[in-house]
Amino acid sequence: MSEIAAKASAKAALKPARRRLLASRLVPYLLLQALIAIVTILGIQLLQPSDPEDYAVSDFSAREDGLTRPVTLPHFTPSRYSLADPPFYTGAFTFRSGDAASGWSVFLPRFSNAVEVAVNGVVVLDSRRDANANRPDRNTPQIAAIPASLLHEGGNEITVRLFVWGPLKGFLDTVYVGPDIALRPAYETRTLLFVTLPVVFSAWQAILAVILAIMWLMRRHEPVYGVLAAAMVLGVVQAFAPPPVPPAAVSRLAAVLLASAPIESALIVVFGVLFFGWRWPRYGTLLFVPGVLVFVVGLIGGPPLPRILFLVLGIPTVGLCLFLMACVTATAVVRRQDAASFTIGCAVTIVLVCWVQDMLTVLEIASNDRIFVSRLSYSAMLVAIGAGLTWRFARALNQVDSFAGQLVTRVREAEERLKASFAREEERARAAALANERTRLMRDLHDGLGGQLVSIVALSERGSAGATITDAARAALKDLRLVIDSMDDIGGDLMLALGSWRERATAQLRPHDIALDWRVATPQGLPLHPELRPWHVIQIVRILDEAVTNAVKHAQARHVAVTIETHDGGLGPYGVISVTDDGSGFALAGNCEAAGAGQTARGLRNMRSRAARCGAVLDLSSDASGTRVRLQLPQRFPDSDMAAG
Amino acid sequence: MTEQGETGEAITILLVEDDAPTCWRLQDALVKAGYEVRSAGTLSEARQALSVGAPRVLLTDLRLPDGHGVELIRETRQRFPETEIMVISALGDEESVISAITVGATGYLLKDAFPTDIATTVRDLVAGHSPISASIARFIVRRTQGAAQNSAEPPPGPALNTAKLTPREIDILWGIAKGFSYAEIASHLGLSKQTVPGHIKNIYRKLEVHTRSEAVFEAVQQGLIKL
Repeated sequence: MSEIAAKASAKAALKPARRRLLASRLVPYLLLQALIAIVTILGIQLLQPSDPEDYAVSDFSAREDGLTRPVTLPHFTPSRYSLADPPFYTGAFTFRSGDAASGWSVFLPRFSNAVEVAVNGVVVLDSRRDANANRPDRNTPQIAAIPASLLHEGGNEITVRLFVWGPLKGFLDTVYVGPDIALRPAYETRTLLFVTLPVVFSAWQAILAVILAIMWLMRRHEPVYGVLAAAMVLGVVQAFAPPPVPPAAVSRLAAVLLASAPIESALIVVFGVLFFGWRWPRYGTLLFVPGVLVFVVGLIGGPPLPRILFLVLGIPTVGLCLFLMACVTATAVVRRQDAASFTIGCAVTIVLVCWVQDMLTVLEIASNDRIFVSRLSYSAMLVAIGAGLTWRFARALNQVDSFAGQLVTRVREAEERLKASFAREEERARAAALANERTRLMRDLHDGLGGQLVSIVALSERGSAGATITDAARAALKDLRLVIDSMDDIGGDLMLALGSWRERATAQLRPHDIALDWRVATPQGLPLHPELRPWHVIQIVRILDEAVTNAVKHAQARHVAVTIETHDGGLGPYGVISVTDDGSGFALAGNCEAAGAGQTARGLRNMRSRAARCGAVLDLSSDASGTRVRLQLPQRFPDSDMAAG
Repeated sequence: MTEQGETGEAITILLVEDDAPTCWRLQDALVKAGYEVRSAGTLSEARQALSVGAPRVLLTDLRLPDGHGVELIRETRQRFPETEIMVISALGDEESVISAITVGATGYLLKDAFPTDIATTVRDLVAGHSPISASIARFIVRRTQGAAQNSAEPPPGPALNTAKLTPREIDILWGIAKGFSYAEIASHLGLSKQTVPGHIKNIYRKLEVHTRSEAVFEAVQQGLIKL
């Protein structure tokens, strides 16, 4: 109970903590964004290029739909969908020949959608032929030189035909007529800001698109790059494909271009979500619906419909996407507090502010001579995204570096640990081997030498005959030699141990006048056994010793023969050692009448158990004509003592 | 019965053994076999006995109260090259026997050997047959293998230079180590049985490091020392 309560209280404590963290991160961010918004608005105000007001021609009479009235530029005219009978503005300006040195020009800073300018009835400029000038989203200025021959000293007439295709209202800014030298700088400034700069940004966008596409091709599991590349490609197409002038038949291309902006902005939102490591929500696909709708309608419907749809669907979608993007980046800033989310967040704020400004302009709430800044500010976001990606790329490289470094360190550590554990293991194995060897040695000494020394002591105490003590002492010495001999490394060649044994057995038999007949079937002798250990050797030699001792002591043999053979039963060679004597033999079972029978039986049992411990097979046969001990060695000696104890 | 050398004189043996019962036992066995035996219990007594004259055979224990039998063997070898030298060993272990061989001994005698075997061994030795046991042969051939396998790590046990041994001699040693008789070895190797003892004598000679300077020469030859 108390645990649950504690958990609950911990959770409750966690919530305010999280809220505090949220507030402490979100509030400064929002304040920063507000500051950026103010700076952006101020920046847009400062961006307004100044025009040579001395040469402004503002007072016109406008003839619209057969109705003539005086107007002051800048002037809005209602939206229309026909190029026939456009609004016709007529104005007057004064030409003084004293200023003619540089020639005169007519300069139109802003108009939508297209103009045809005539001076004294002669057309000097038709912007419909310049595709970029016709785009309402660009603030393209126009300038045209007025041929000197057209100008009269004093009053001159200027007429402007304003071609408008909806749904936006037509707009004509103040017209400037004057010496070219005075008008040209203003024109150049506007061209730089509204024509050259967008081209530069679009080029930057194209480069980014290529880089991102390559990144995506190389890293297919990161769709974020692919999404952004698609958005960039759309942007580039939109920027460089010239929009057709309405009478042109390719209205489908116009629809595609119109649909590009909402789709592009939706892609940017997808990018934002993926970039910050979130999953793209399933219903997020709805964000693409307006763009697709504009596109489909543009393919099917006539020219005016997609434009209207774009205005009511596309532009709000762009705004919605910008707002979503702002939310996404704000969340990312709160959670991650990293440079990339901050940079992108600030850029999104700038674009959002510009979009709002443009909306206010379109709705004629704010008056700024109808200069649209969304497209231009979009480039700010591109720069930010480029910076964000570069930052991320650099960070990934750093991570790889540090990961490689860590890996090297870890591998080294693991290696050292392994070495240490290997050394420990080796030490343990060595200690175990030593302990095993010590145990074996002690047992061997105990089994043989110890018992024999004890029996020598017993015999001496009883004052027994010298010969018996001598035998016991000799046996003890023989056993000591056997144990020492078995210590020697014989490299798995049992023959080397048998060679020494032969000498000892010969010496043992000689006083009894028994000949040892030694027969080795092959020069090689026995197969090699790399796994042969000293304790195997001791057991085998003791078995042979027992057989020889039996022949001498109990069977009164005259000849003892040792035969060493190698057989091959198809599963690899194995050795057989036989000890045969021509003594009287003994009863194998039951019959315990003979004086030495009990001792013999114990000896036989010992031989069998020793053979079993080495994995060897002992075969005994005995009759009145002699005894035969056949020891069949295993193909492989066992590692551990099979019947230890 | 008196054992006599080629000159017809009795064969003299100098027996150096500090353990009295063992000394008596060996002396009894040798005297019974007809040898003329002088015995010494210490190194200095042995040197004194040597100053009187060279014995035909020197039998010496290695561990003596006032020194090591190896010194006595080396001295005797240098002063009286004709004298046959055998080491008396309790167990016939390689450690003592090999170190005796390298200074000039040509065999060993087990302290507990039966009297007849003691006499036989000495007689064979005087007749020019150097006895060699399976375990000593095994030690030598294992050492030749070890030298071939890795020369970097010196094997345990006394230093032994097997570089001069011929493949045939090594084959003979293998046969002895595996318990084959001289006759069997001779038939396996296609030799005459009589030549085997000669080979064994040669093996002893080759294992002997005669002098200190020769030891240095050997070491230089084998690249152990760089001049």
